[in-house]
Amino acid sequence: MQSWRRKALLLALSASWLLVLLGAFPLLRLAVPTRPRAGASQGWPRWLDAELLQSFSQPGELLEDAPELPQGPRGGSCDWGACFDASKCRGGGLKVFVYSAAGPVSETHRRILASIEGSRYHTSNAAEACLLLLPLTRDSSAGECSPVPPQWNGGRNHLVLSLHPAPCPRTFQLGQAIVAEASPTVDTFRHGFDVALPLLPEAHALRGGAPGQLRQHSPHPRVALLALAEERGGWHTAGTNFSACPWDGHCEQDHGPEQTHPGATLPNATFCLIPGHRPDASHFLQALQAGCIPVLLSPRWELPFSEVIDWTKAAIVTDKRLPLQVLAALQQMPLTRVLALRQQTQFLWDAYFSSVEKVIHTTLEIIQDRIFGASAHPSLLWNSPPGALLALSTFSTSPSDFPFYHVQQGSRPVGRFSALIWVGAPGKPPLKLIQAVAGSQHCAQILVLWSSEKPPPPRWPETAVPLTVSEGHRKVSDRFFPYNAISTDAILSLDAHSSLSTSEVDFAFVVWQSFPERMVGFLTWSHFWDEALGGWGYTAERANEFSMVLTSAAFYHRRLRAGGPGRSRSPQSATASIRWRQGSATCPWCPPASVWTQCSSRTRCPYYARSIAAWRSPRREQRRPQPYSRGRPICLGGAERGGSASSLRTGQSRRPVSQCGRSRLANHSPSAPRGRALAPPSGPAAGCSSPVRGARSAAVRCRR
Amino acid sequence: MCAAVKYSLRGPALIPRMKTRHRIYYVTLFSIVLLGLIATGVFQFWPHSIESSNDWSVEKRSIRDVPVVRLPADSPIPERGDLSCRMHTCFDVYRCGFNPKNKIKVYIYSLKKYVDDSGVPVSNTISREYNELLTAISDSDYYTDDINRACLFVPSIDVLNQNALRIKETAQALAQLSRWDRGTNHLLFNMLPGGPPDYNTALDVPRDRALLAGGGFSTWTYRQGYDVSIPVYSPLSAEVDLPERGPGPRQYFLLSSQTALHPEYREELDALQARHGPSVLVLEKCTNLSEGVPAVRKRCHRHQVFDYPQVLQEATFCMVLRGARLGQAVLSDVLRAGCVPVVIADSYILPFSEVLDWKRASVVVPEEKMSDVYSILQSIPQRQIEEMQRQKWGSVSNPLFLPLIPPQSQGFTAIVLTYDRVESLFRVITEVSKVPSLAKLLVVWNNQNKNPPEDSLWPKIRVPLKVVRTAENKLSNRFFPYDEIETEAVLAIDDDIIMLTSDELQFGYEVWREFPDRLVGYPGRLHLWDHEMNKWKYESEWTNEVSMVLTGAAFYHKYFNYLYTYKMPGDIKSWVDAHMNCEDIAMNFLVANVTGKAVIKVTPRKKFKCPECTAIDGLSLDQTHMVERSECINKFASVFGTMPLKVVEHRADPVLYKDDFPEKLKSFPNIGSL
Repeated sequence: MQSWRRKALLLALSASWLLVLLGAFPLLRLAVPTRPRAGASQGWPRWLDAELLQSFSQPGELLEDAPELPQGPRGGSCDWGACFDASKCRGGGLKVFVYSAAGPVSETHRRILASIEGSRYHTSNAAEACLLLLPLTRDSSAGECSPVPPQWNGGRNHLVLSLHPAPCPRTFQLGQAIVAEASPTVDTFRHGFDVALPLLPEAHALRGGAPGQLRQHSPHPRVALLALAEERGGWHTAGTNFSACPWDGHCEQDHGPEQTHPGATLPNATFCLIPGHRPDASHFLQALQAGCIPVLLSPRWELPFSEVIDWTKAAIVTDKRLPLQVLAALQQMPLTRVLALRQQTQFLWDAYFSSVEKVIHTTLEIIQDRIFGASAHPSLLWNSPPGALLALSTFSTSPSDFPFYHVQQGSRPVGRFSALIWVGAPGKPPLKLIQAVAGSQHCAQILVLWSSEKPPPPRWPETAVPLTVSEGHRKVSDRFFPYNAISTDAILSLDAHSSLSTSEVDFAFVVWQSFPERMVGFLTWSHFWDEALGGWGYTAERANEFSMVLTSAAFYHRRLRAGGPGRSRSPQSATASIRWRQGSATCPWCPPASVWTQCSSRTRCPYYARSIAAWRSPRREQRRPQPYSRGRPICLGGAERGGSASSLRTGQSRRPVSQCGRSRLANHSPSAPRGRALAPPSGPAAGCSSPVRGARSAAVRCRR
Repeated sequence: MCAAVKYSLRGPALIPRMKTRHRIYYVTLFSIVLLGLIATGVFQFWPHSIESSNDWSVEKRSIRDVPVVRLPADSPIPERGDLSCRMHTCFDVYRCGFNPKNKIKVYIYSLKKYVDDSGVPVSNTISREYNELLTAISDSDYYTDDINRACLFVPSIDVLNQNALRIKETAQALAQLSRWDRGTNHLLFNMLPGGPPDYNTALDVPRDRALLAGGGFSTWTYRQGYDVSIPVYSPLSAEVDLPERGPGPRQYFLLSSQTALHPEYREELDALQARHGPSVLVLEKCTNLSEGVPAVRKRCHRHQVFDYPQVLQEATFCMVLRGARLGQAVLSDVLRAGCVPVVIADSYILPFSEVLDWKRASVVVPEEKMSDVYSILQSIPQRQIEEMQRQKWGSVSNPLFLPLIPPQSQGFTAIVLTYDRVESLFRVITEVSKVPSLAKLLVVWNNQNKNPPEDSLWPKIRVPLKVVRTAENKLSNRFFPYDEIETEAVLAIDDDIIMLTSDELQFGYEVWREFPDRLVGYPGRLHLWDHEMNKWKYESEWTNEVSMVLTGAAFYHKYFNYLYTYKMPGDIKSWVDAHMNCEDIAMNFLVANVTGKAVIKVTPRKKFKCPECTAIDGLSLDQTHMVERSECINKFASVFGTMPLKVVEHRADPVLYKDDFPEKLKSFPNIGSL
């Protein structure tokens, strides 16, 4: 009985406790206000009489600005409108005159001169120049700098260029001259007027330049996260699990995988910490070249070409006062951002920094953009491949006119092409070819370029599309002249003796639309390193690889016609012999050829070298995994044979290598008959034949 | 300005409750100022993601009740603005470090009414615009009411219009703020700087190190990487509702609507009109308006009266000339009207120029070239004008945009997804191991109920073989970014794909190296629009086109594994796991969506042992399977909001494929078809 009562009591007690506990919390929550600081201000008040508030300006005030004359420059500072006389540049665009050195020509001076002389800006007449360039160089013989130049005029329209820091003391006031110097301090830099240059090492290549070190998009899993620039040069790499110890450049603790590479100049890490002092700016370029994302700790110097280059896409500028936050942020940075930053470093290096020539041309291009004003490069053209030096603003400033930006713009090249038929010596009108091309549903117009001795026939066949005949100057490169008559992006370049069917033309055009930045053609060549001659040779023989397509039957983008001097050379004609000298100073800029090599979309030439011996060797040998060697010896076959390898290495050290195309495109027609091989006039047929298209897919569909 | 800013917003809008257009304007303004500061560097790391703001019922008070503060005549005045200020010299980052979410916190001083010694107010207490601006900040996630946690301080002293200020006294009011400390981390907003006669281009109030978000900066006064240039707010265009105008030609080519212009400019404009006739319209202030018509809303040309700002919509280009001040409110009107601004104001720092590329939406002409402005504008191609009219700032970018060719020596990692078909799996492993470029083989063992075979039973191959056991039988496991993947190239292969030869796989890898941002695969598929059903349809029949490749055998970049696992939009991933199907379609969508490029199909069609291929064998058509796959396409297209897949009509074959050439000299002789 008692035990029963005790049990009941216990039960009742615990039940009531449970009730209290359950009930009390909501009650408690009700009793205590939800906001911890109930009495404190809760944001900006909602004023009861907010409707009565006056506007910050009276209605008329914004309009009735008292008319006032424009202000002139104040103090010693300059800006573009005030200190540069752009009226001199009308007409001819930017023409640059370079002062010659008074005494013996220094090496730097010679390099500056060499890179400008080959450019489209150069003029040897000071009177017609709109920009006068005064190189400040460290003269080995004389202690003092160049004297005040004759046309100085207070420095107006002068560009004072000092590639390397700390040249001799200046003997004159810079005044209104634009100063282009390496890593200028932010305090004296005049935005929009001066130009910030990178801090170049003395031995920087004049032309071509070493390619970037980035070989793959994502960082290798085993590579270090951080490298720290050291004062005495070189880099100090550290693993992923370290504290802020490398911050001040010295690290006493031992953290396992850390190591210092005094000899290695290029860092091998994902991020490169660069202190903000000015001398450390030289590390910046190394990081760029290595594809190591520069993390700048409160830089006191202006980033190179900051006027046009969006450095937030390639580098991280941060505060050295926040070591822990920076480290944490780097460790947690999303892969997407890391990928984008890494690629951008490489693109910028290759486009603007890898050679002295590029640095100087970029400087001039920036100044030209200021002169052009409205028709300058938009930021997109500066900051995405292939860069503003290759996407010429004289051609267009609209990204959709170029073949490179369709993905970013979400656009497609316009769905028509113009056929350009070049009639050479025999002078027979290519009637069959015209009919075949005119039959294509994508053809917009046909231009016949009559380059023969014979006069063109008076009558031409009736075609569905407009046909224009124009007489050329009997020069092979006529066909690449950017004719105004061409209205479409795509150009089908043809020789009179080519023979194509309408289906082949249609198919090739569809392929070109997928790869508008490449050349798409039928006949292929491959080039190889001819050891006997010590030069490049080409062959039309059938091989497993090819590097060029012949312009006797190929599609390419209109923009490739407008290539400026010193950049892309016009592709040679079918009959020209292409031969490049070993070690020639100029990288013979890639003929914008080749379907499957990555030619035209990059700034460097994808030379694929393969000796005939290698070509003849059994295929197992060919396919042995070869070390990737962009920027190292080209001649894979030759280099393997020892003897000449070293000389090749040195001679060709600037030549990027790429593999050749090994694939070709075919239609998806199920049981497509093999297409006819083209019958070129010379050499064996070696084409990608394009099969006759099958019937279009029967199902109705809407392509978006 | 709104029109332009609308597109430039990188983060989502700050406030869920948007009542008026003013409000949107200020919210945008403030977030862009913050973005500008972020762009300048110091805050690069702070995530600017927004959480839903707490819905606090804010105390309502009257402005007349604010406390009055008397400023003694001899109270301190801050130094003039320090022109050498940069983020790392004048800004105290330590204040911005210690809050749990690493977010910039902004504090607003409470409103006070300042009077001088004799009781005369220093300025109007607060203007409507500044009140709305502060409300926007307060409603945003950046706001804090704890002064000790704040990184930025916004005084409630209204300095938007310098004309309405008593400069010395305003400076004294600033200096006595509780955390002033030489203005460090204080942010001032100003739209009308300077005053007669010299019209300085920055606020004349001595402000020491305070950051200034100002309208009308010139290159002389703008502290690059420290100040932020903002547009001058125009109350007019916020009042008037303007309909959207699409791009295209308009009635006038060039229009000038400003009324107060320097006589020299007026002469130039008149000369322009005389030369080019009716395509140029130069408007002036109306002189003979009837009573009650607001003069600010009308413009006149000779005797013709136009509504302002509506008339701006009738022009392709609209002039924005400098007045006494560089920043002109007309810029906001012009942008809102969808007219392309022609800015003629030398040394003017355009609003938000650190984050916006003005070249894409405006034309900047030097003052000395004003007489040529017509021919300069005429030389702009129509297509570019339309792009400017659209004022598109944002763009999509391919994550693997650099055309890098990965080294061949690196090889690829093959990932075989398997459940329990051990015999077939071993055959696949043996076949794949013959491919020269194979670097590693990863078997994803998706069967939790059964252990993988013992080590000794696995085929002996020349590359490392690793078995990963999964926690759940999910299809997504095949696309997980395993740490074991050290190569960039990944070959996804099913455990029953035994018909691919070593040559075919090696060739596929070579093609992938050429196009590392694409999916390179063997069996191709197509999506079609079914007009009868009004939806997408999945097609596996013989077609002339492909838009997908099956991931039963496909090469791709390992980055897409990361994207698939962590960044797949919507509920696609869980849908795939729930339906145990369509993981390959999802991958095709994902890759096409981020790169904007089509897949690449390699080698001719082969007989594949995959469920839907049975149709080709003439056995039985698995109708339900096809319906399910079609449903997947429709589902994914709705989640992506678009159809990202691209159709192509070509495939890649080796150069000498089927050529009349000795087989033993071909690189890839063993490539067969059906």
